[in-house]
Formats: sequence, structure tokens, C-alpha cells
Amino acid sequence: MIRPMKKTFLLSVLLLCVSFVTRAHAAEAPPLSMQILSSKTLSGTAGDYVTVEGQIMNTGLQAVNDLTTYLSLVDTQNKLPVDLEDWSAEKGLYIGTIDAHQALPLNWKIHFVKAGTYSLIIVAEAAGYEIPQASTITKFNVSPKRNLNPRQVLPVALGTPIILIFILFLVTYKRRVEE
Amino acid sequence: MFTHIWKKEIQGELYTWKSMLWLVIASLLFSFTSYLLLTNKELSLLDQTELLWLLGKIIVGVALLILTIDASSIINVEFERETAESLFLSPVSLRDFILGKLLASITLWAAVFLVSIPYIIVTSAGSHLAWAFIGYIALLGMLGVVGFVFLIFGISLLYRSSKNTITTSLIILLAFATPALFTSALKNDVVSQVFSKINPIDNIFNSLDNVLVDYKISVIENWQFLLPLVIFCAITFLFLFLSAKRFTQQGIIRND
Repeated sequence: MIRPMKKTFLLSVLLLCVSFVTRAHAAEAPPLSMQILSSKTLSGTAGDYVTVEGQIMNTGLQAVNDLTTYLSLVDTQNKLPVDLEDWSAEKGLYIGTIDAHQALPLNWKIHFVKAGTYSLIIVAEAAGYEIPQASTITKFNVSPKRNLNPRQVLPVALGTPIILIFILFLVTYKRRVEE
Repeated sequence: MFTHIWKKEIQGELYTWKSMLWLVIASLLFSFTSYLLLTNKELSLLDQTELLWLLGKIIVGVALLILTIDASSIINVEFERETAESLFLSPVSLRDFILGKLLASITLWAAVFLVSIPYIIVTSAGSHLAWAFIGYIALLGMLGVVGFVFLIFGISLLYRSSKNTITTSLIILLAFATPALFTSALKNDVVSQVFSKINPIDNIFNSLDNVLVDYKISVIENWQFLLPLVIFCAITFLFLFLSAKRFTQQGIIRND
């Protein structure tokens, strides 16, 4: 027979252990592995589209709930995070629940907006975990798109109004002759 | 009979220096914009498709502004010069009168569109988007212009005053155009999103964005923007129909 005091003590120890286990779980990253299947470095010209392909897998024994993945892009030249407004139509992807050992594809279509070098990571965040899981870095090398073609635009920019003025002269002259 | 009114209007609109100068000014505006976009170092860092979108917005915006002002006076001038009475005494029905004036307004839009084509071609060089850009400017511009002209003609038949029609029409244009220029960050709430779905100018700009920036060129991919524009034209046509009915009931000489 366990005496009531001893029973209370054992119960307290048990509760303390459970509390530690829960805390330890919360301070962990979710048991997910994220692989980038596309090239580690993607290059292109401003205006091009590339697809970053990845895979997320639950490596744990239990399902991970309330899972969200999102992109994080950093301009490595200016050392600044980039607003994804024009870079990707889908900045985040809500997965919800991923079962144990289940793997899901992650595809992001990225629009190269501005020249420079960038680092992209995919971040996964799940309910009950304080630390997010991040993928390896994908580097972007975006070369500038040169729109500098004054030779083409100048004849049109000057020519169109001149032609219109000439047509106006002709119309006015014709009207006066008719009168 | 409407062709007679149309020809008469076109002769008045496009046959004198004064009445054609706006087209030269519009052309100078397109020249300045395209030259700046293609040669300015800061702006040239923009993706070419963004540049095309900006030019598209300017072309449609200029056309709508010109058409709003012109359509506001094209009907009212007949009342103010007191030529409406003699016009309706001749075998001209109200339908022919409106149709002739509508064709004249569409001709002005066609003139702005034709002037914009060289700029569209030169700015789209190398992007393979020139034909899509021209086609969608023609389609979206036409739907926008026809919708606004129906609305303005309806207001004209109610007001019978150029000054009041111009003021009201410009305010309506401004009310549609200002939210369309807001960034997407300012369109996060439900009210803005709903207004954006029904706003014809927003739909024109969003469809151009869809075509030029997101490369969604087919009509099916732009149906969500084209349908509200068609509905806008239908609603404004209904408004014009009701105004015309009221006008017929009141007669040319209003007893108020």
C-alpha cells in the first residue's frame, strides 16, 4: 500500500516530468525535413520566371498539425529582406496536417523582379513548436534587363507628334481650299 | 440616318486645328512617357512587362479622360445651341441621334488607340507581347469607353447642361480611377476588394496586369475582368435607355 503522502509526491514528480517533456517538445522544431529539389543556384534576367521545387516530409511518428510554409527572401547585396509582393503570387502555403512519414511537394513560381543576388529559404511553422524548420538556401543571380533603347524610341517619340501635326496642316489646308 | 449625325460630328471634331490639338497633346504625352520609361536609368530597372502595364494604364486613362469630357458636351451642345429642336423636327429619331453621337465618341477612341499603336510596338520590342498588348488595349478600352459613354449620355439627357454633365462625369471617373490606383496593400479589406471587383477601371488595369505581367493572354484567363466590364456596359446602357425614355416623355422643351 502506498501511503497518501507518498502518492501525492509521486504524482507531483510525474506531473513535473510531463511538464518538462511538454516544454522540451515546444522548444523543438517540428519533425520535418525539407528538401530543395531544384538547383541550388537559379539564374536569369529580370522579368524571367523560375520554379523553386521542394519537398516537405514528416519524419516523426505523429502527425504535425496546423502546418504553414512560407518563403523568405533576402537581398544579399544590400543585406535587406525583400518584400515578396511582386516576386511570388503565393507567399505562403497552408498545408494543415501532414501525417507521419507523409511527403508533400512544394512548388513556388518566382518572378525575378530586380537585378541582384538573393537568398531564398522555405520556412515551415507548426502549431505547438516554438522553432520553425527551414530549408537549405537557394541562391538567385538576377541579371538586369536592359531597356535602354533610345535609338528605337526616339524616332517614334518625335515622329508621331510631327506626323500628326503634318496631318492637321493638310486637313486644315484642304478645308480652307474647299471653302 | 445615324451615319449622317456621325459624319457631321466627326467633321466638327476632327476637321479643325482647335478640335484636333488634343490628339497631338495626347501623342506628346505618350512620347514623353515611353521615352522616359525606355531611357531613364531608374525606370529602366523595371521589368519590361511592368513598363508595358504602366504605359497601358496611361493610354486607357488618357482615352477615358478625353472621352469623358467630349461625351459630356457632344449631346448637350445641341440643347445649348438650341439646335436640338430643328434636329428632332427632321426625320431623326432619338435612337439615331444617340447612335450617331456614340459612333462619333468611339471614333475619337479609335483615334487615340491608333496614335498609341507605335508606342505600344516600340515599348514591347523583344517581349513578344506587342499583339496581345494591342489587342487587349483595343478590347478593354472599347468596353470601358462604351460603358462610360452610355453613362455620360444618360446623364446628358437628364441634365441637358454641359457644365453639370462634365462636373458629374469627371467626379464619377475620378471616383472609379482613384481606388484603382491604390496599391494592393490598401485593398486588403472586404469593402475595397468588393469595390475592386465591380470597378470598371480596376478591372481594366487588373486585366492588363494579368496579360502583361502574368502572361495570361487568353480571353478565358481574363474572363473574371471582362465579365464585370460587360455587366458595367449593360447597366449603363439600361441607365441610358431609362434616361432616353424620360427624355421622350418630357419632350425637347422641358417644362421645369
